[in-house]
Amino acid sequence: MEEEEMDEDVFLEETLILRDEEEALILQDEEDRRQLLASRLSKWKRPTSSPCNLITRIDYVIGERHKDLLPNSSGPAAILRIFGVTREGHSVCCHVHGFEPYFYISCPQGMTPDDISRFHQVLEARMKEVNRNSRVPKFVLRIEMFQKRSIMYYQQLQSHPFLKIVVALPTMVAGCRGILERGLHIDGLGTKSFMTYESNVLFALRFMIDCNIVGGNWIEVPAGKYKKTTKTISYCQLEFDCLYSELISHPPEGEFSKMAPFRVLSFDIECAGRKGHFPEPSHDPVIQVANLVTLQGEDQPFVRNVMTLKSCSPIVGVDVMSFDTEREVLLAWRDFIREVDPDIIIGYNICKFDLPYLIERAEALKIAEFPILGRIRNSRVRVKDTTFSSRQYGTRESKEVTVEGRVQFDLLQAMQRDYKLSSYSLNSVSAHFLGEQKEDVHHSIISDLQNGNSETRRRLAVYCLKDAYLPQRLLDKLMLIYNYVEMGRVTGVPISFLLSRGQSIKVLSQLLRKAKQKNLVIPSVRKQGSGEGTFEGATVLEARTGFYEKPIATLDFASLYPSIMMAYNLCYCTLVTPEDVRKLNLPPECVNKTPSGETFVKSNLQKGILPEILEELLAARKRAKADLKEAKDPLEKAVLDGRQLALKVSANSVYGFTGATVGQLPCLEISSSVTSYGRQMIEHTKKLVEEKFTTLGGYEHNAEVIYGDTDSVMVQFGVPTVEAAMNLGREAAEYISGTFIKPIKLEFEKVYYPYLLISKKRYAGLYWTNPDRFDKMDTKGIETVRRDNCLLVKNLVTECLHKILIDRDIPGAVQFVKNTISDLLMNRMDLSLLVITKGLTKTGDDYAVKAAHVELADRMRKRDAATAPNVGDRVPYVIVKAAKGAKAYERSEDPIYVLENNIPIDSQYYLENQISKPLLRIFEPILKNASKELLHGSHTRAVSISTPSNSGIMKFAKKQLSCIGCKALISNAEQTLCSHCKGREAELYCKTVANVADLEILFGKLWTQCQECQGSLHQDVLCTSRDCPIFYRRKKAQKDMAEAKLQLDRWQY
Amino acid sequence: MEAMEVDGASNLQRKQSLYQSKDERFEIRMEKYTGQQYSQIYFARLHKMRTLLYSLVDKWKPHVPVCTVLGIEEGKECIIVGTLYKHMKLKPCILDEYSKERSAVPVVKPHNFMHPDDQLILEDESGRVKLGGTVLAASNYVTGVVVAVHGKETVSGEFFVQDILERGLPHQIELPLDSREDKYVVLVSGLSVGNGKSNPLNLQLLVDHITGHLGDEKEQRIASQIVRVVIAGNSVEIPHGLLNGQTLAAKDQSKLSEPIKELDILLTQLAAAVPLDIMPGSSDPANFSLPQQPLHRCLFPGASVYNTFMSCTNPHSFELDSVRFLGTSGQNIDDLEKYSEAKDKLDFMERTLRWIHLAPTAPNTLGCYPFTDRDPFLIESCPHVYFVGNQIKYETRLLKGNVAAFL
Repeated sequence: MEEEEMDEDVFLEETLILRDEEEALILQDEEDRRQLLASRLSKWKRPTSSPCNLITRIDYVIGERHKDLLPNSSGPAAILRIFGVTREGHSVCCHVHGFEPYFYISCPQGMTPDDISRFHQVLEARMKEVNRNSRVPKFVLRIEMFQKRSIMYYQQLQSHPFLKIVVALPTMVAGCRGILERGLHIDGLGTKSFMTYESNVLFALRFMIDCNIVGGNWIEVPAGKYKKTTKTISYCQLEFDCLYSELISHPPEGEFSKMAPFRVLSFDIECAGRKGHFPEPSHDPVIQVANLVTLQGEDQPFVRNVMTLKSCSPIVGVDVMSFDTEREVLLAWRDFIREVDPDIIIGYNICKFDLPYLIERAEALKIAEFPILGRIRNSRVRVKDTTFSSRQYGTRESKEVTVEGRVQFDLLQAMQRDYKLSSYSLNSVSAHFLGEQKEDVHHSIISDLQNGNSETRRRLAVYCLKDAYLPQRLLDKLMLIYNYVEMGRVTGVPISFLLSRGQSIKVLSQLLRKAKQKNLVIPSVRKQGSGEGTFEGATVLEARTGFYEKPIATLDFASLYPSIMMAYNLCYCTLVTPEDVRKLNLPPECVNKTPSGETFVKSNLQKGILPEILEELLAARKRAKADLKEAKDPLEKAVLDGRQLALKVSANSVYGFTGATVGQLPCLEISSSVTSYGRQMIEHTKKLVEEKFTTLGGYEHNAEVIYGDTDSVMVQFGVPTVEAAMNLGREAAEYISGTFIKPIKLEFEKVYYPYLLISKKRYAGLYWTNPDRFDKMDTKGIETVRRDNCLLVKNLVTECLHKILIDRDIPGAVQFVKNTISDLLMNRMDLSLLVITKGLTKTGDDYAVKAAHVELADRMRKRDAATAPNVGDRVPYVIVKAAKGAKAYERSEDPIYVLENNIPIDSQYYLENQISKPLLRIFEPILKNASKELLHGSHTRAVSISTPSNSGIMKFAKKQLSCIGCKALISNAEQTLCSHCKGREAELYCKTVANVADLEILFGKLWTQCQECQGSLHQDVLCTSRDCPIFYRRKKAQKDMAEAKLQLDRWQY
Repeated sequence: MEAMEVDGASNLQRKQSLYQSKDERFEIRMEKYTGQQYSQIYFARLHKMRTLLYSLVDKWKPHVPVCTVLGIEEGKECIIVGTLYKHMKLKPCILDEYSKERSAVPVVKPHNFMHPDDQLILEDESGRVKLGGTVLAASNYVTGVVVAVHGKETVSGEFFVQDILERGLPHQIELPLDSREDKYVVLVSGLSVGNGKSNPLNLQLLVDHITGHLGDEKEQRIASQIVRVVIAGNSVEIPHGLLNGQTLAAKDQSKLSEPIKELDILLTQLAAAVPLDIMPGSSDPANFSLPQQPLHRCLFPGASVYNTFMSCTNPHSFELDSVRFLGTSGQNIDDLEKYSEAKDKLDFMERTLRWIHLAPTAPNTLGCYPFTDRDPFLIESCPHVYFVGNQIKYETRLLKGNVAAFL
């Protein structure tokens, strides 16, 4: 069996180079790997009955038709290439022949078979005209008539004639569609323009849909139905040709839900940048490449190596290969890729940085034979700029590197997609998920290490290996492979789509599959700029803000939007146009009129496709969850959990698909109906709860709905215990569910107690699902993760909530805030808590408005170009005191510079612009006069500002020693104390020495921690990771220590 | 908190003995923090120890080649010398302060951070390698110990240890047993003046006993044979909350200085009668990291007037009539107890002697000054008396001719 995964619809123009040239470039250390390959080959058994593979990629190329398989046609055709892995781990390349690109148009009324052949001729002629230079003998291969129906709008007639237009090559679809949309003159029918159907479906996806292949699918090619390729063009172990109709796709169930043993390569490169510049491929060499290869499902990589430029001391357990020239390094890597033949290439930011860099660097060095990294012999990898834009993920520029037959999985992209984090650096991501800090070597140091000796290069190699290892760890820890493969299987799209495209392709794929079963066709709508109409979003019931010290029961609608669509049969094909409403005269019991005024027929007239898709998804999720409970094997569990998650996400994205105005098939009638029903339901629930649960109705208290969000309603039943609230919550959920159409269901899930409701979409509370213990503290919309706030805000807010909610100690929280503010004003704050970080995306001139971090980057560049942040770096800064009236952006300063020069922090700025708002939000529902109490109390009176050591007036100041006790000036440098403080020596000394002791504790902890991170006791710590929470503390500890020691030394032993 | 002794004789004249301080290497003086890191102290330690170990290796396994961590080849037997690093799952880490989830329950008992998964790693300046095999029990070792191991690299990249060599007891200067008279040295620790639980009467009794104001003639005779008192740390206890950098109210100022004054009175009485060494301990008003510097004389305006009063470093080393004493106020052993396991405290002490290192866990888990050129904690010659203060109970053991006193 072979396993294959699908890949995107890329048309590959082959750039071939002579094979001799390529083979002349074999490297010395090939011998070992030859043996490795030889042993692998020896294990390779000939396929006896049925080769079957899990698709990793599908590409297609234009090539000659296969004479044996397709004897009756000629000319170039699209050949699909399926790459995959067999169950035993052999790589496979399958050339699939005979699948032709096509699309539909609706057949003009009264068209006869004769008209069709005339129409064919006209279209062919026009195509020839447009593609004058093409040597293709025939553009439009066939036009056939089918009885189908458009998915749009409810129609009483079951079918209409449609024309299926089959063209020679996939690229011609768009051209042909253009011609038809613009209009065509046909004798006897006049000039007509046609609406096309399914003309925007990518070729590979079309193929997958028609052959029932989903992402990560097992495919079988029965014995005798394929021909071994005589002249192989790929590096795969198995290569053969077959017809598309011979493929057997196995649904991912039972035996076929397993993963194939993919080889996963994780790699990282290091480049030696010039001082003050971010490395550029045209100038800066690639000096190291670290690789780890892991077999999917195993915990340890089976290959660990690093290729270095110039000698490098050995590393235990790692194969270190050193080369004298960069050319050798690059070629060694290429050979390595080819030899190991990974199915999936992962790394951190490889799509935007590592891979393009390698390729561009090879170009700069004129190594033409380097970029043959794919599985196709002689075919070069190219780099393309792409922009990916999605409503959900925003616009992102990236580079597309196509490596034939291999999937690239950039962890950075996956992180940005799936998780909301305050920083996406590998360091902070691994700290977040793996609980490990990673040392971060500044790129200006990399060159120094490279230019040192083999020891320093080894140091770098260790660092490089760690960078290659962490993505692999993340992949395993987050089970990304499982989740993505399952998502691919559920939605039927190739895995690479999941990373490079938005949500809509997934829904479209499901829609197309379903439509095909139902004999429906989907119109290709021209994309219309920005959405023309918006509709009213989900409502939230007015929040009655406050601090609730009685349990609040939360009633949730389970999968609200999908349920609404199912309950009311909302779909493209059940929507009745306003015109038809008048014309068709549908009986009112057969239609639903939605609160937003649209009309949909009920399922007895026409069952909607979307509800059907949703039903299947939710049923499948239920099944997956049930199986998950049964499953014992952890790998199987991983697969099932990934699947149920994928199903949930998919179900929820259907609604978004109908509302995406720039999407594939927007239908605002559906989405606005969904939200209007949603609103109605929330209000209905509120009404019922407040009517039923009253003292009049025999309950102890009057229930009160204090807040309602998109799909949940918060009720205060007035009972004092969690348990009582839970019982009432369950009762309410059951009672109200009964009033809704199935499958809409109100569920009781949790109780918040206590509950702090700040405003809509902002709340915090303790989350209880059983009456004995609370599960966690749940917060929403509160400054705990926002990245443009300093850490102080986050810590303060978290700590306050903790004190208020868990300890139920409001005075304690107030005192904590006061202490913190006092610490801030007294300049006792840990600087790292005050650091604000922003990404530098463009240079200063390109920003329209002056921004603090940009200005700072400019200033730092003037100070020292080598260490100044460059575009793409994150710039950390603090706000310092400056001349009166200075703009905020002028007051930003580098934290290190601040530490070194004792520059005073602008504590007022932090107080007013950073912490006051979040604090007041929390405390206003709790305290009267929160602002006065917290921000203007007596604790704000004492202020201490450190004196800058290098600026302005201080240059004229004369340094004088002062008494340690009372700060009075001392003239005699021999003395420590003034005469007044003499008697307090012991006490004052204790204080000084206690300060030193505290600092020593901190100093020891911080620096040994950094040694631990870097994994070496005998080498200095070089890490400059500004994302690391202890970086500034470490620096500060070093500096404070030196100062405190000086103070202590004044006491003279 | 009791006292102990060495040999003995008689007369009511207090015995004298020749005292020589060996504290110089523990003194930091005017050295400054100029951005130096801890790598240097490890380097110095490894360098020194390696020379010592290499000289032993020839006798130990003359036929096995010695190489660096990087020089090892898979399957080939060799000996490597390096610093141990113990990877500990439960070791508290400053980064935990930043983890988002506060765990409600502390995971381990706070006095020991051992875990069965702890892993030893051997490191030299060229690299590090995981140590495998059953010869080496991770629970017995701590980070910072330098050893030689004999073994070979396995397929998985681990170094399979077959045998291990520690330095063993260092060379000891011949004990001059010419004097036939008994002399005593009193070792006390943990006086904890200012602690609510400490009883001033006990302390006064101790002072009176030493100064010869108590007991019958026999006891006074013994008292007169005491030639020196060594106070091994934790003499006062100051409420730490007072020292948070805030300006103190007058009332608190006295709270702070009261215990010290009280201690000074005791010390003055002692110093008037007998030579006295006072070492700082973890609760004393001294710096935190080892070597702790002497308590400042200004704390003891009374006692410091006497030339018999010596304020010393911790660790403290001196010679008394050519008998070499070495001891600490206990932090080194307490730290070993947190990160390794032994039958009793004396075992820990014995280990430090065999590793010839007073405080191998410094700087890793024990605070330490970042020395650049030396490692002062190496025990270059074996002391005759090795003592550690501030332990739960008094224990002693005689170790191949060495007295190890334990307080």
